[in-house]
Amino acid sequence: MVEKLIHNIQRNLQLYLLLAILLVLFIVMSVLSPSKFFTPNNISSMMFQMAELGVLSIGMSIVILTGGINLALSHSSMLAAILGTLVMQAMVAAGLNPLLTILVGSVVIIATSLILGAVNGFFIAHVGVLPMLVTLGTRSVFEGIGLNITKGSAISGYPAEFDFIGNGVFMGIPFPFLIYIIVIIVSILLIQRTSWGISVYMIGGNIKATELSGINTKKVLMGVYMMCGILCGIAGIIMASRYSSARTDYGSTYVMQAVTATVLGGADINGGEGTIIGTVIGVAILQVISSGLNILGVNRNLVDIIIGAILIAVLSIRFFTKFERRIKKSENPV
Amino acid sequence: MKKVLVVTLVVLMVVSMLVSCSQPASPPSEEPKAPTEDTKAPEQEKEPEEQGEEGKAWKIAVMPKLIGIPYFNASEKGALQAGKDMGLDVQYVGPTNADATEQVKMIEDLINQGIDALCVAPNDPAALSPVLKKAKDAGIVVLDWDTPANPEDVVYSINQVDQQEYAQLYFDKAVELAGKDDFKYAILTGGLNAANLNGWIDAGLEYAKEKYPNLQLVTERVPTDESQQLAYQKTLELIAAYPDLEVILGYSTPTPLGAAKAVREKNLIDSIIVVGSTTPNDSVEYLDDGSLDLGFLWDPSKLGYLAVFAAKEVLEGRELSDGQEVPNVGKISVDGKIVIMGPPSVWTKENVRDYDF
Repeated sequence: MVEKLIHNIQRNLQLYLLLAILLVLFIVMSVLSPSKFFTPNNISSMMFQMAELGVLSIGMSIVILTGGINLALSHSSMLAAILGTLVMQAMVAAGLNPLLTILVGSVVIIATSLILGAVNGFFIAHVGVLPMLVTLGTRSVFEGIGLNITKGSAISGYPAEFDFIGNGVFMGIPFPFLIYIIVIIVSILLIQRTSWGISVYMIGGNIKATELSGINTKKVLMGVYMMCGILCGIAGIIMASRYSSARTDYGSTYVMQAVTATVLGGADINGGEGTIIGTVIGVAILQVISSGLNILGVNRNLVDIIIGAILIAVLSIRFFTKFERRIKKSENPV
Repeated sequence: MKKVLVVTLVVLMVVSMLVSCSQPASPPSEEPKAPTEDTKAPEQEKEPEEQGEEGKAWKIAVMPKLIGIPYFNASEKGALQAGKDMGLDVQYVGPTNADATEQVKMIEDLINQGIDALCVAPNDPAALSPVLKKAKDAGIVVLDWDTPANPEDVVYSINQVDQQEYAQLYFDKAVELAGKDDFKYAILTGGLNAANLNGWIDAGLEYAKEKYPNLQLVTERVPTDESQQLAYQKTLELIAAYPDLEVILGYSTPTPLGAAKAVREKNLIDSIIVVGSTTPNDSVEYLDDGSLDLGFLWDPSKLGYLAVFAAKEVLEGRELSDGQEVPNVGKISVDGKIVIMGPPSVWTKENVRDYDF
């Protein structure tokens, strides 16, 4: 009982630490450029920018929870978006109802990315290849297929209403941000409140033990990569709309940013530890740094250095607090 | 207790790091702001009588496709020099990867920062179109440079060279060097995604089909990921696969160098001609031993200079005119929105040392 309580505080301490960093960064940025950072315009554009990376990062997080990684993240998004774009192009040309076009296009995008996720999942769960190798391979395959379809350029041709998904504002809140919030809530419910979610954590902790305890780890892993696929699809829809086009290399920098946000948010890269809300805060921290420093006009290379330094600082802190806990445990073995 | 201490320390560290890192950069972007906003209003009233010759501290952002490669470092020099010469507040900002989505975010942040003009080299015209419209709505003068954006999004499009002329130059020079027009050749390109490279190659192939119908392209254009090392490997493979290969055309600046290195290593300097876009400083050693036969490009620092100059002209209500003499750049040609800096510079063993970038 006491153990559990201590553990709870320990876990929440990580979250409080992250929240404190986010808050401090926010205040620092607001002080440094008061008339530009803390303005409705900037807050709104940060919300717009956060959504796509946020949704992809949650996808990355659930994969990392199992001890895996998905390097094909952005390319799955874009291959799905390219196919969806082709369908929408054709439907626009045929003069069909715009809302129907958007609906069908979105379904195609999500279905495609679900299939792409299942391909990843199949090789990882059933063939047993390392996730990093599988997704490195599928990344090239998805990119190649996309390049062949588009010949390297961006394709577009959506109904005008499609713009709203990525650029619209609903009740004062950027629409993509609303999608992001729904994704957050659903993911938290699935990962942290269901027995399936618990088995995801267990696989990350020890896959052999999980299998021996009677859980069908293959099925769970398939599910994880398919869920990641769906999230890629959602991000793909947002991106296609925001940039009103689709191209193989959109968002290719998001893969490493998603890993950064996840690890910053408290996940163990070896799996078994981490929370969705931690990742969400991690994404917000990256966003505040990025927007704040852009507004200050800081060189982009320096921005990368600062993000890297913060990541290392947070990881060191985490290491030392864990270290301390471990020492205390070994001092009182009973 | 210890934990609290540790947490406090980290927070302090992060804060101090941020403050110290951003301090040197913030004064230049903050200070000139005052004159800009103060002078903007009176400037607009006064505009008719004095055409702003003394120059206002306009805030102009110049965004390359990415920062940190020699080509865009050279254009940064030119852009900043222009700012100094004309008394403008020029900032040169861009993503560290050639990713259009990063550019979109940075432009959104620039809009919030409040700038007067934006010169952008889009990684993708379609992806940037919505955000450039947003910038225009915010009253920002938008131009493109180096790589064209969608024409309706910009006031002027600053081109290095005439695309058609540049595309033809490859084939004309290769035929001239080979002394015949029935050779076998291969094309190395930076990447299959790059619109400007594809444009030159497509236009060149079209031109060759008509003018030099006997040329034989041995295989589809070969992508090299903008990497000299990969260009080197691909050239070795090409030489092995097509022993009778006579000419290699290198698009994108690292490729001719990689090809030249492979040609040198295989002792084929006399039998294979390598020509392509490259920067003079990097190509000296290859031109000297003849492994690279000819290099050509424009001066990227002049291009950066011209972009800033054009932005200032638009901000002060002037138009660019055909044949206009731009200080430090030379005569430009203007056709509607299209501004062309001039003919490309060609360097050989003899004249390559006259250039420095």
